[in-house]
Amino acid sequence: MGLLALGTALEWPDARLKADQVRQWGIEQLLANWRRAKGKERDALLWGDEVEYLVVALDDAARKARLSLAQADILKSLAHDEALWTADSAAGGQHPGHEEEKPPHFHPEFGRFMLEATPGEPWGIGFKDLLKVESNMKWRREVAKAHMAPNESPITLTTFPRLGTKDDYIQPYYPPSGPALRSQFVPDEIANPHIRFPTLAANIRSRRGRKVELNVPVFKDVNTPSPFKDPTVDYDLHLWPEDADVRNGAAKDDHVYMDAMAFGMGSCCLQITFQAKNMTEGRKLYDQLSPLGPILLALTAATPIYKGFLVDTDVRWNQISAAVDDRTPEELGEAPLKHDRWRIPKSRYASNSTYISQDPRLRKEYLDPDLVVDEQIKKRLMDGGMDELLATHFAHLFIRDPLVIFSEDLKELDLQKGDHFENLQSTNWQHMRFKPPPSEKDDIGWRVEFRSMEIQMTDFENAAFSIFIVLITRAILSFDLNFYLPIPRTTENMETAHERNAVLESKFYFRKDPFGRRAPRHAGPHSSHGSTFSSTTSSAVNTPPPSPPLGPVESEYELMTINEIVNGCSDGFPGLIPLVESYLNSVNVDVETRCFLASYLDLIRKRADGRLWTGAKWIREFVARHPSYKHDSVVSEEITYDLIKAVEEVTAKEGKNGSIGWELLRGKKE
Amino acid sequence: MKLILSTSNIMNSGPPSVIRHPMMQKSNIELITSLRSNFVASQTLDNTGVDGANCAANGQHGNVASWTENCEDGLYIPAVDFSQHGLAEERDQYDITVKLFYLPGIPASRRCAHTREAIDLVLRELHVKSIDLLIVSFPGILFDADDDSDEEGSDASGEDDFDSMVQTWRVLESLHEQGVIAQMGVAEFGSERLARFLPHTQVKPTVDQINLKDCCVVPKSLILYAKQEKIQLLTHNDCNDILPVGMTRELLGPKDQGGAGILASAPDANDGIQGDVEPQWVVKYTAVVKDRGVVENKGYFALADVGTCVQSRS
Repeated sequence: MGLLALGTALEWPDARLKADQVRQWGIEQLLANWRRAKGKERDALLWGDEVEYLVVALDDAARKARLSLAQADILKSLAHDEALWTADSAAGGQHPGHEEEKPPHFHPEFGRFMLEATPGEPWGIGFKDLLKVESNMKWRREVAKAHMAPNESPITLTTFPRLGTKDDYIQPYYPPSGPALRSQFVPDEIANPHIRFPTLAANIRSRRGRKVELNVPVFKDVNTPSPFKDPTVDYDLHLWPEDADVRNGAAKDDHVYMDAMAFGMGSCCLQITFQAKNMTEGRKLYDQLSPLGPILLALTAATPIYKGFLVDTDVRWNQISAAVDDRTPEELGEAPLKHDRWRIPKSRYASNSTYISQDPRLRKEYLDPDLVVDEQIKKRLMDGGMDELLATHFAHLFIRDPLVIFSEDLKELDLQKGDHFENLQSTNWQHMRFKPPPSEKDDIGWRVEFRSMEIQMTDFENAAFSIFIVLITRAILSFDLNFYLPIPRTTENMETAHERNAVLESKFYFRKDPFGRRAPRHAGPHSSHGSTFSSTTSSAVNTPPPSPPLGPVESEYELMTINEIVNGCSDGFPGLIPLVESYLNSVNVDVETRCFLASYLDLIRKRADGRLWTGAKWIREFVARHPSYKHDSVVSEEITYDLIKAVEEVTAKEGKNGSIGWELLRGKKE
Repeated sequence: MKLILSTSNIMNSGPPSVIRHPMMQKSNIELITSLRSNFVASQTLDNTGVDGANCAANGQHGNVASWTENCEDGLYIPAVDFSQHGLAEERDQYDITVKLFYLPGIPASRRCAHTREAIDLVLRELHVKSIDLLIVSFPGILFDADDDSDEEGSDASGEDDFDSMVQTWRVLESLHEQGVIAQMGVAEFGSERLARFLPHTQVKPTVDQINLKDCCVVPKSLILYAKQEKIQLLTHNDCNDILPVGMTRELLGPKDQGGAGILASAPDANDGIQGDVEPQWVVKYTAVVKDRGVVENKGYFALADVGTCVQSRS
């Protein structure tokens, strides 16, 4: 989450009227920035990870775990120290074990019980840098903890198991049903008080015409009532007009019902951003990483509980998607189109819908047939010189309305800035994000963000998944890998990734052969303009030289298990890990680094083949084995307290020597 | 005559099938597969525009295939067009590592010439004047992580004798002096061998490349010694005997047996080159874009002697 602007935020009825202006100005800023930055070349690989935490407060006397709303105090204290440290480092002061590292940065997040931490400066590809990631993550956790009350700690669960229940799950306690969220489960105070956040939540609700609606299928245990009717729903509230939502059928049978942005945007993710050498490479990575999004989502699954109930899905994604879904009934297809411009198939938070690389391997059959595009914006971008693929991408993002508009920003269009562009860009939460260089900074290049992964309980796991993705990008670029898959299949895969235990039991569409056809011998090396040869007769971008006709797109991919995708199958897809190892065998890696990398790859290999459990499975088992669990899907306060204590222990001991969590991390109780 | 086998850039030229196999197992599959697929690709492609780029066109041998090229320094299999642009960016953007495998049974006396030949081919292929790191692999040395003390078994067959290693190192030192090689390394040396070797060197190796089944088990003595001598321990997964005679014969043998059709099918047949084949050395080169970690170019050259004029092993 970037810097937070201050100003007077418009309420939806006013913001709505300014939407076109913001979009137009955003597009002009994009064009100005694109013209400035499209020729940027030879930026190094720099990358960064973002780790998000829940701040929990433990009450050992009452055996209760609560979310702490102390974010502002913690951040203030952290910022104070960061300034001290920077001065200290300049004066030669050092931090044991982190002498060459800058102090980590901490950022606010939507939830007032959340923190985000990033490394003090981005990582490079020097293999020594890769060794610092895990210890730096641990350092961040220590620093954060040091700025909290003694009974508070940062934990890396995706969601708090009892967020939105009737008990006092937050500290300090506030009652629900505030004017911004109008939720019957969570108070307005659950969100960061900065004006941006309540406005965002209120304007989503207002634009939508009702509260957001999250229905997650409940996990049916032996004693779970059937049909299950969420017992926490109050049908008799009459404080806000939106209280009628549940009387109009918002809460579905056999589902856990939630009604506020906090249930989604209060989830913790692990996001990785890469700097590409130039725009062309960035566009290529955006496309090639896109089919991996659902795969890594299923591999990192860690979200089996909502609002005090075990649910029948393993990941957070769709809940966030529903939590920020601002589509009107017309856009959703529930009412005939009268006032709105189009029906929109996906939420603003969803799997991505575009490919943007000018790659001759990109067949037009891969593109999303349901893509909604603002044709006027597309025309403006193309008139401004942008190519059709990229213009289509941004014209797709810009079908949305800006949600938070500050009236101060509407006085004059400043083409040196990117605020209006970012307004739309940063509220399109797709699983990949293509980021132009910031208008104000010359030293940052084109970047791609990989956003689908769930946060893991230990920093070992978080480092492993971060580094795995980095190595995959190097393998993609080195071997010129081709993971292209029709976008609708990736959309389906995203749904599949939600299934309980999808990592072992579900199958995903994936490309069978990631290699191109053999290049003419001694064709030049990879040029900055994509692959050196073409193998497609149906390229979406240009007319390639004649080559043998391709088979049907459907023959290029098949359904595979996560294990087959990650570890390979004997006569099919070679496997992501073998590809990464093949890359590592082609570069000079020192023994110590290779040993670290081997332990990371081993974790991922075993998650994929089932020898190690996902966080989701471990949490389910923890609940199932808890003496007070009644096999009725209810995750009580007592279980939650014990679970949070257990998670703290897993984070600290990492399952070593048979300690709790060994099934996640070690595979045997050694 | 000499046969110069090459793979061209294997990074973007079809499936590097090596990666379909378990990684930590030593392997020459990459070399064999990429040679084979380069031969196949060269035979099927129209090679006008490649012919005659470097030297007199082939045809001096009536039985030599058109996709090869007969030059002064040997028969190129396939023909190599060295005029193609080597690397996409300027030289200083790259880390170029070259590993030279001296093969078992080949007299050490030839290594001076072999080293120069091999390096020269790599420099021509990549269009560069120097390489950043040359690692030499002597035949017969096996690194054993479990047993750091007993690796000096000099009586093992194929084991390189110590003096010839030192002799070979002199050649590398002279190339270092000429600025062709920036850093030099060895492969599979244990701490004792390193300790014995270092006093005989003027330019010390900065790298010892070791192959470990489990790379987390490195003898402590080696770690400490390497640290003290500022030698970096790098990992690899190359095979010790990377190009055996039998494999070479199979690669170049008759087409109906899956070969490239270079060697004659029988002692009296007129369908290829007659005589014995004897691989001399293999060189692997890798060009990595430094600050992006992208492997842009990787390939192999291998040299084999063939015919009645195979040099006697003196």
